[in-house]
Amino acid sequence: MRTKRNQRQIALFSLLLNATLFTVSCKDEEVAVEEENELITTVKLNFTSGGITQSFNYSDPDGDGGKAPTIDAISLKPNTTYTLTIEVLDESKMPVGNITDEIKKESDEHLFVYTPTPNSLLTYVYGDKDANNFGIGITGSTKTYTAGTGKLKVQLRHQPPINGKASKDGTPTPGSDDINIDFNVTVQ
Amino acid sequence: MKRDLKDKHLTQPSLRRRGIFLIFSISLLIFLLEEKESYAQTLAHPSGAGATVTTGADCDCFIQGIVQDDATKQPIVGAVVFIKELNKGVSTDAKGFYRIANICQGKYTIIGRIVGYEEKNYTISLQHGTEQNIKLSETELHLANIDIKAQKIENLTQTKNSLENAALDQTRGQSLGEALKQISGVTTLQTGSSISKPVIHGMHSNRVLILNNGVRQEGQQWGSEHAPEIDPFVAKKITVLKGAAGVRYGSDAIAGVIMLEPEALPDSTTIGGEINSVYFTNGNQTANAGILEGGVRKLGKTLQIPYSVGYRIQGTYKRGGDISTPNYRLSNTGIQEINYSLSVDYKRKNWISEVFFSHFNTKIAVFSGSHIGNVSDLIEAIKRGTPLPIYTPEKFTYAIDRPYQDVQHNLLKVKNTLKNRFGILSLTLGRQYDFRKEVDILRGDRNLTQLFKLTTYSGEWLFEHKPILKLLTGSIGVNSLYQENLTTGMLTEPHSSTVLIPNFKNFTNGLFFIERIVRHNWEIESGFRYDTRQLNVYRIPRGGQSVVNNTQNNRNFTGTLGANYRPNARWNFMTNASSAWRAASVNELYSDGVHHGAASFERGNENLVPEVALNLSFTVNYVSKNFQAELHLYNNYINNFIFLSPTGRPALTIRGAFPEFIYTQTDSRFRGFDLTGIVQIVKNLSLNSKISYLEAQDLSNSQPLIQIPANRWENTLRYDWKRTSVSITNLFVTKQKRVPSKIIFSEIPSSEIIFTQYGGDFAPPPAAYSLWSASASQQFAITAKQSLNISLTINNLLNTSYRDYLNRFRYFADEIGRNIAFRAKYSF
Repeated sequence: MRTKRNQRQIALFSLLLNATLFTVSCKDEEVAVEEENELITTVKLNFTSGGITQSFNYSDPDGDGGKAPTIDAISLKPNTTYTLTIEVLDESKMPVGNITDEIKKESDEHLFVYTPTPNSLLTYVYGDKDANNFGIGITGSTKTYTAGTGKLKVQLRHQPPINGKASKDGTPTPGSDDINIDFNVTVQ
Repeated sequence: MKRDLKDKHLTQPSLRRRGIFLIFSISLLIFLLEEKESYAQTLAHPSGAGATVTTGADCDCFIQGIVQDDATKQPIVGAVVFIKELNKGVSTDAKGFYRIANICQGKYTIIGRIVGYEEKNYTISLQHGTEQNIKLSETELHLANIDIKAQKIENLTQTKNSLENAALDQTRGQSLGEALKQISGVTTLQTGSSISKPVIHGMHSNRVLILNNGVRQEGQQWGSEHAPEIDPFVAKKITVLKGAAGVRYGSDAIAGVIMLEPEALPDSTTIGGEINSVYFTNGNQTANAGILEGGVRKLGKTLQIPYSVGYRIQGTYKRGGDISTPNYRLSNTGIQEINYSLSVDYKRKNWISEVFFSHFNTKIAVFSGSHIGNVSDLIEAIKRGTPLPIYTPEKFTYAIDRPYQDVQHNLLKVKNTLKNRFGILSLTLGRQYDFRKEVDILRGDRNLTQLFKLTTYSGEWLFEHKPILKLLTGSIGVNSLYQENLTTGMLTEPHSSTVLIPNFKNFTNGLFFIERIVRHNWEIESGFRYDTRQLNVYRIPRGGQSVVNNTQNNRNFTGTLGANYRPNARWNFMTNASSAWRAASVNELYSDGVHHGAASFERGNENLVPEVALNLSFTVNYVSKNFQAELHLYNNYINNFIFLSPTGRPALTIRGAFPEFIYTQTDSRFRGFDLTGIVQIVKNLSLNSKISYLEAQDLSNSQPLIQIPANRWENTLRYDWKRTSVSITNLFVTKQKRVPSKIIFSEIPSSEIIFTQYGGDFAPPPAAYSLWSASASQQFAITAKQSLNISLTINNLLNTSYRDYLNRFRYFADEIGRNIAFRAKYSF
């Protein structure tokens, strides 16, 4: 019967349509590698005085989560002026990613902040400036006073422009932390 | 002669949703014979207890017509047609004919009910719009063509609330979550003002199932800041089924189901459509949407079978800029959306084929001031109260900057239905592709970007059998779903360990049956379902180098049992007990890291077991001419309820300490009620009152659960006159006083805890608030087929500053301020 044949045709057609639906996009998909997330695993503080450099590290090779980070205790001499440089690295990659260079390139939206507790422990003076004459803090100098113990908070404030308007104003307030580490400090 | 009720989607069967429901179009011809008396006199009658069936000069009207199955053109015998307000009804005779006589003039709701089908209500007005003062001769007939699209009953014994027609029009331009707030018991979980997720009875995300045109929506719905990837303009009707509905829709429908349904496709050659334009003053947001539809109909010649083809093209463009709170503008809060959908169907005597494709594409800016770093940033932000000036610019912009979300969702659905003498058999196949890119701010062009690509294939066979012994109706079905999620590298070869959720594939199968008995005033339904689920996760654990493959297998039964009792047309009682279960999702199992924009360090738990819900509900519905009320009581026990709980302690990262949250489970109980009442105070003036009350308790720890919406009471005073309507609404939301008081993780030493109050939350719940809004709308009938609706709505009329407990930005910023919406809808 014609009716039956027609029905069969429709059934066949729809089956074909369904098959098409399910064969479309059976290719292997991949999420592009260049979208890979940036990771800071290591922060190095280099204190130089009298030609001798001491380095103290924050290290979390597996990034957030997983194993807890290790933080070196900083040990400095009293009444001494040090040159302080900071290195920011991604050691999860080979070769090691140097993030300090990227911060330098975008110094107008980054600010390192060094905060000692107690305040009397040491002082920090910026040794570099961005295009707008605000400090950056990749290099600077620090001076210790009398012997004592305390903490040094190291922050990298990321202060990107908001809708084209610069937000970095030389103070730590705008933006958010890319780095925020408390180092234990002993001055002796 | 006057056309009283218009209808543009004429009488054609259309199969819209996955298998189970068949839409019959029954065309009812209703002849309304009018008397000379004016309408005003009728309404002046005190209605008493609804006993308006008085005979007299103004009560000589009658309604008569034929109920027929439009697909087969056969009259439907024994269909019940009755007038709700009068509690008066008849059954159709052997020719499908019915007649209800001695009706007074007035506004009535006609209900068509057929065994095994969802009832349908139609409002018929004998007022005849502007012609109420025209004296009509006794012989003048008023003919109205009313389409009753009787839908196969999917769920008789659970509460459903729908948004359609004017109520849906009032939400045009808003997101799905915002629109659904109209329904009592539904609130939203917000991330700022642009991202909102529907919350049903305190539950959201994976527990709320969304059916988009009959296909279950599969996106990254686990994320609390991932709004449903759906354009509400696709739907002509949005229905919310409250309570566990695991048997029919998938075992994980613990909180409820949201169904978006487009209109049936046309089969006439007439081209019709709709243009919607919306403008919101706040954020200068515009939304424009259009629908164009038509069809081809070939009538049968001698040897040819008649067939028809229907099609619809639909598109939406939405754009908005930075929105403002009463006191400041929020930077980077714009939105952009381009969506379209195409559908075609082919109908022949016993056969229907349907293809539907939709594309959703949005870019949503996330408020810059929400990029809170660590605990110290967070505490500073809370202390400040208002965002820094840099995040509250004077200048308005449409620009979308980082951070933002870029989301695309494609849905392709093919459905075939065959009717035969045993019943209706259908096969629904779906393919969905969900792409989500979350771009956060970080150094320069090296963004912290999260990419999610989720591809889902789903299929369902459904067989609905014809009534057995004219008593038992029901259906049996099988569903399968296969999906692959990619966040890094290739599925089985992830490249990175720093992704938010790992690569996975998920395969689920379900078998179910639902049977129902319909007898006189009683309806009883019962169903069972069996599901299996296999989840394969491919990930590189933090610090590891090699790929780890974890497999999870889960299987379980789901059941439902319910009854519906209608002693008369005024009262309706429903009760239902349903179960549902849900296996832990990948984020709950494997999250491990900072959730950006949420200022939280989230840890998953590999050992989570599936949560199992038992939902008990009771609903009573009362309808009379001047009063309508619905009370919905529910008690939902969820064993091993999975939730993200604060630990109160900080987790150390390179960016400092972040508040830590752990996915954990507990036995819980969600109970409460939704009460809705509409009172006709005097002629044309009505009061609509809605109360939602919810108590969610963590039974294992004997304290309230965190993040539960506060109770609310909404009142709307509405004045309708002819085609004009004016309303004023007050929404009062209480302060959420039921918040946890202690940290539930006893193994955490109290010395490590820094957020000791509110169960580890950062700040107390915001204060109660009261919001006023006002609305006015006007309808213009241009021709019989063309109409124009315009409306003006002012939300947050008094520009009140407030914060909501369920907005994730409540720690940093106020909610949106006054927003005036202009809407125009042109139908042709």
